[in-house]
Amino acid sequence: MATNRLPDPVAVLEAVGEQTVRSTRKVAGTVLDMLAAVGGVFAMCGRILWLFPQALGDPESVMKQAMDLGVASLPLIFVTSLFVGMVSAVSAKYQFRNVVPLKYLGTSVTKLVLLELGPVLTALVMSGRIGSSIAAQIATMKEKEEIDAMTVLDLPPLRYLAAPRILVGILALPVLTTISCFLAIAGAWGVCVIGLGVTSYTFLSGTRLFFSGYDVFVMEIKALVFGLLISLLGYYHGIHAGGGAKGVGEATMKSVVSSSVMILLFDFLIAFLLLRNTGS
Amino acid sequence: MPGVQIDPNDEIIQLRHLRKSFWTTEGEQQVLQDVTLSIRRGETMVVIGVSGGGKSVILKHMIGLLQPDGGEVVVEGRVISTPDYFDAATIRRKMGMLFQMGALFDSMSVGENIAFALREHNEGIPEDSVDEIVARLLGLINLNPAFASKMPSELSGGMKKRVSLARTLAVEPEIVLYDEPTTGLDPITADVINDLILDTQKQFHVTSVVVTHDMVSAYKVADRIAMLYQGHIIFVGTPDEVKNTRNPYVQQFVRGQRKLESVAE
Repeated sequence: MATNRLPDPVAVLEAVGEQTVRSTRKVAGTVLDMLAAVGGVFAMCGRILWLFPQALGDPESVMKQAMDLGVASLPLIFVTSLFVGMVSAVSAKYQFRNVVPLKYLGTSVTKLVLLELGPVLTALVMSGRIGSSIAAQIATMKEKEEIDAMTVLDLPPLRYLAAPRILVGILALPVLTTISCFLAIAGAWGVCVIGLGVTSYTFLSGTRLFFSGYDVFVMEIKALVFGLLISLLGYYHGIHAGGGAKGVGEATMKSVVSSSVMILLFDFLIAFLLLRNTGS
Repeated sequence: MPGVQIDPNDEIIQLRHLRKSFWTTEGEQQVLQDVTLSIRRGETMVVIGVSGGGKSVILKHMIGLLQPDGGEVVVEGRVISTPDYFDAATIRRKMGMLFQMGALFDSMSVGENIAFALREHNEGIPEDSVDEIVARLLGLINLNPAFASKMPSELSGGMKKRVSLARTLAVEPEIVLYDEPTTGLDPITADVINDLILDTQKQFHVTSVVVTHDMVSAYKVADRIAMLYQGHIIFVGTPDEVKNTRNPYVQQFVRGQRKLESVAE
């Protein structure tokens, strides 16, 4: 016969207490690990920036990275930017109907692309293209003891691996973002003229309306910061990768996830700092 | 090794009471419990022990890739195992290491691999000199100069290790560390590597530390053999002393026997 005995309350309390302590320790450990990682990234960033002059003294290595990371990304930028511009125009036209004159279509698309869509979408796409590539490459080198071999040969990995990649990341993103913005606006113009019944004159005069060089400045600042974040986090996760194929995969995933989150965080911070009081 | 004069009091590397633990999913694993070992200038010391026993960890401490939890690593009379040791580059340039899988830089050709450190440490060195040194080193490891343009992916395991040795020798080290140099190779290629270790010592008068579990290799290249067992160095002696010792753990390992009891009988 089954008995319905109540559990001993003291034992229950003890178990709950034990579990609470264990969970608190785990959370505290995770928070400490995160703080250590943030500190590690900042410390690494400082050391790498210090090495930029040396990296610039090796133009061959910088050019190689520029080709691998920058030029090779152009087809992807071309496709994504064109479609982003086209869909922006269609969405804007839909929202403007019977409310806002169509001469503002070019204005709204240009502002949207320059201040937000261009830099953020380029950065998010590039975190998958450049950041993951750096993380996977460095993690594989670590797994195959190539990083140790460099250290043993007194060829510091920060100087020979990190500095050229991060330098190219910082330089490539503003260029890619500029191209992306141009293509997005061109895509919007194309879809307006061909498919939405807006004349070329109306769209282009709208793009010139309220155009400000400051918008381009904000776009380039965002692109520069995003370039640093993507390449730095790619390298950081690569060099701290665990062993084996699992370690390489995790490093790649962490690099994309962390840089995506940081891009959105810094997007807000830069916008808040640079756009908050402008025009008031 | 016969023919090389070794001063037993001239100790180039000293490991003093080295301790090292790693955190794994199963908790803390103490790999080195109390390792004390001295390497004499000019000798070839072979460290033997079971796989995963910490032999490579010892090598990585010698060259500063790992910092111990306790104890000291002394190279040329200097303690290099403290975190505030700033002169690591000076010591590293005296040392070279041959990694288990070669660790060649995949994105560079064989020639570029060998010349990389040479070019970076000797600014302005003429390309003719670099090419000459690369060809000489390739000759030393019995490879045709045409191999300079090949990529590491085109080489066999044995060739990769030989090229890795050439890359190590390009910076003219005084100490060469070999991490499992014959592991994964057929007996004939392994013997080629053993001969290269001997030739390197003869020609460059280097001090060598070889980590291996290959007893054929150990007997062939060693001046002295040290056995690592459960985080301690339990035996140091010449190859003949290893063969004749009554230490049951050494005999178990040398004979490749699974049970200790059968050795002790």
